[in-house]
Amino acid sequence: MTITTGPDTDLVQAALEQVWESMLYAVAEPVPSTAGALANGLEATITVSGAWNGELRLFCDAGAASQMAATMLGAPADEEMPELDVHDAVGEILNVVGGSVKGALEGESRLGLPQVRPATSLPDPADCVAVSWRGAPVYVQIVSLPA
Amino acid sequence: MRALIVDDSRAMRRIVGRILTERGFETAEAADGQEAIAVLESMDDLPAVACIDWNMPVMDGLELVTAIRARPEWRDITLMMVTTESEQDRIVRALAAGAHEYLIKPFTPDALVEKLDLLGLVPTPGGVA
Repeated sequence: MTITTGPDTDLVQAALEQVWESMLYAVAEPVPSTAGALANGLEATITVSGAWNGELRLFCDAGAASQMAATMLGAPADEEMPELDVHDAVGEILNVVGGSVKGALEGESRLGLPQVRPATSLPDPADCVAVSWRGAPVYVQIVSLPA
Repeated sequence: MRALIVDDSRAMRRIVGRILTERGFETAEAADGQEAIAVLESMDDLPAVACIDWNMPVMDGLELVTAIRARPEWRDITLMMVTTESEQDRIVRALAAGAHEYLIKPFTPDALVEKLDLLGLVPTPGGVA
């Protein structure tokens, strides 16, 4: 699928489904997007520049992030993961989602390196795709930026 | 048989490493191209294959492929890009620079094993090749 404008939620949802299946061994069930606070959360950001300029931003709570990292690293699900590993794993999830999205855009685009930082609030649900990770929502927001 | 995994994500190095270890490879890791060159220079027994990410800080995967191909003593190392870069022109560039195979993330363990089989990289049980 090649699209000429920026990514849409269907494209991001498809990328999330691929990543959930191959990296997290799970099904990415869609869940309703809701706005609000994120008591102890993480935000990963990756830039896409070129034919479309923007960012993909992933939000989830720290517990879900730790469990995703444990799955990727082959650690027991209840093992508390070091922050460095959690940030790395969440960044890599968004990196692969971003790569899939970029690959579907028409024209030459460039993917940045993922950045991960603490987050305290959720993005506007209108721009988001939300999928479930073991019952916890994981949000990916599409943000268009000026060229 | 040895394999070198070059990726700036530790989680991805672990995922690839798990698949290769189950396949019978001994693995070494590097977090970017420059570190990979240092690892290769330190090795007496070179890897049969290097799995190389494209987007990495310091030195990216394409630069690493070019650097490895410029060293005659490393000509026997099979180079496989393992990357999110899925566009046709990227694949062509990597193969033109000297990569032998190309695997797009996300991938399944079976997809990686298929590529290894295609390249004839099958470790001998209990043996060093």
